[in-house]
Amino acid sequence: MRQTPLSPQMTIALPVLGAASILIAWQYILPLLGVPAYIVPTPTAIFGVFQRSFALLIDNLRPTLIEALAGFVIGNLAAVLLAVLFVHSRILQAAYFPIVLFFNTIPILALSPIIILIFGIGMTPKIVIAAVICFFPTLVNMIRGLDSASDNEHELFRVLSATRSEIFWGLRLPRALPMLFSSLRIASATAVIGAIVGEWIGSDKGLGALIIQATFNYQSDRLYAAIVLSSSLSIALFCIVVLIERRVIRY
Amino acid sequence: MAAIEARALDVGYGGRHAAVKVLAGLDLTVAAGSFLSILGPSGCGKSTLLRVVADLLDPLGGSISVLGETPHAVRSRRDVGFVFQDSTLLPWRTVRDNVRLPLGVGQRSLTRKIEDRSTELLELMGLGGLSERLPHQLSGGQRQRVAIARALLGEPKLLLMDEPFGALDEITRDRLNDELLALWRRTGTTILFVTHSIAEAAYLGERVIVLAANPGRVVKDLDMRSLKQEGNRCRREDAAIVAAMAELRAALERAT
Repeated sequence: MRQTPLSPQMTIALPVLGAASILIAWQYILPLLGVPAYIVPTPTAIFGVFQRSFALLIDNLRPTLIEALAGFVIGNLAAVLLAVLFVHSRILQAAYFPIVLFFNTIPILALSPIIILIFGIGMTPKIVIAAVICFFPTLVNMIRGLDSASDNEHELFRVLSATRSEIFWGLRLPRALPMLFSSLRIASATAVIGAIVGEWIGSDKGLGALIIQATFNYQSDRLYAAIVLSSSLSIALFCIVVLIERRVIRY
Repeated sequence: MAAIEARALDVGYGGRHAAVKVLAGLDLTVAAGSFLSILGPSGCGKSTLLRVVADLLDPLGGSISVLGETPHAVRSRRDVGFVFQDSTLLPWRTVRDNVRLPLGVGQRSLTRKIEDRSTELLELMGLGGLSERLPHQLSGGQRQRVAIARALLGEPKLLLMDEPFGALDEITRDRLNDELLALWRRTGTTILFVTHSIAEAAYLGERVIVLAANPGRVVKDLDMRSLKQEGNRCRREDAAIVAAMAELRAALERAT
């Protein structure tokens, strides 16, 4: 039997209550169970870091934000352009898509040291890692999206003697947008992961570096604060993508 | 001049040699300005015939001329309108912008100027108040009306309709049948109308052909004009129409 749907108030109230119950249990029950603060600090302790070391957190957020954003833009742009090339040249796609596929199977953690070897220790390698991690899902989705117009739709344009570029701008691209945006949503989270992974391997700035330093110095509250900030960054990027998507795709 | 003249037309898939023939040795002449209904079982090549006329598919052999020229020349000049079974409206365009699609694409190959008659056509198709809606906000019948308005925007001399009302309910379909006939009388466009429905074929067509499958060929060619009043008018329940339907049904049963 199907359950009756929740009222609108409840669909908002229940997740809030759920999160609150976890936070309260975390704050009051975990210490009672003897979990030491250096493993899991309390929510208030983590919040305290935001008050005490706000400048430090923001200083480290800035490079990660720049790297993730730049990587997001570059990686997705490259993927979209390559997808456009691939769908217009089956020969190029047949020749090079398997290589891209192989490239994608290399774990990003294994690839990162090489990228750092090539690009040094500035922001560039982190941007490259973030770009690489965004690239593949967008490429695959964009190829599928650009090919997703139906036979009838192609015939409609052909009856009208549409040119290739008219078919691209008038049919293929708008058809691809929903799939592009679903991969951009994924990329909004993975770009941050890429930037942080890059910072782990070779950096003294950024949320990734802060996470590593805090771990080695047993500054658990600071570590958790950095994690909260990283995930907030992903959520913010995600929300921006969703906002743009809602404006672009109205149907 | 005949609107369509096909002689010994072979159409198939898979290249000239290893071809699966969909149409074999088809002979067909369609008078300009006439309304031809095409009936046949699934896979008989009804849609394929339309696609050859529209230059969406090349024949393997035989000859075909459309309005006295090659299908390619006619298509390039945009003298052909095509209406698909699913309306094939672009979901991101409003109703009006869907109707205007022919203004936005393919203009380069065009010698004549197409005017934006979208307002007039939307009124004509009873869509006046819906012009800013998106396709998903329309009913199936309304969507087909939009598709027809779009096909008419370029004032085609030849309108190809591939089961356009196949997915609609009976009442809507009957209504659109009457609207289509009124449109045809006004414009004088030649219409090739593919359908699965014997009743629809008989009601609409000045002439009905039945195709048989494997390979597709004409097995029945019925002139309806003597059974109808002036202007291709009839009532669905006229005895002559009912008798013609029985004749078509028998041909269709033999063809299936």
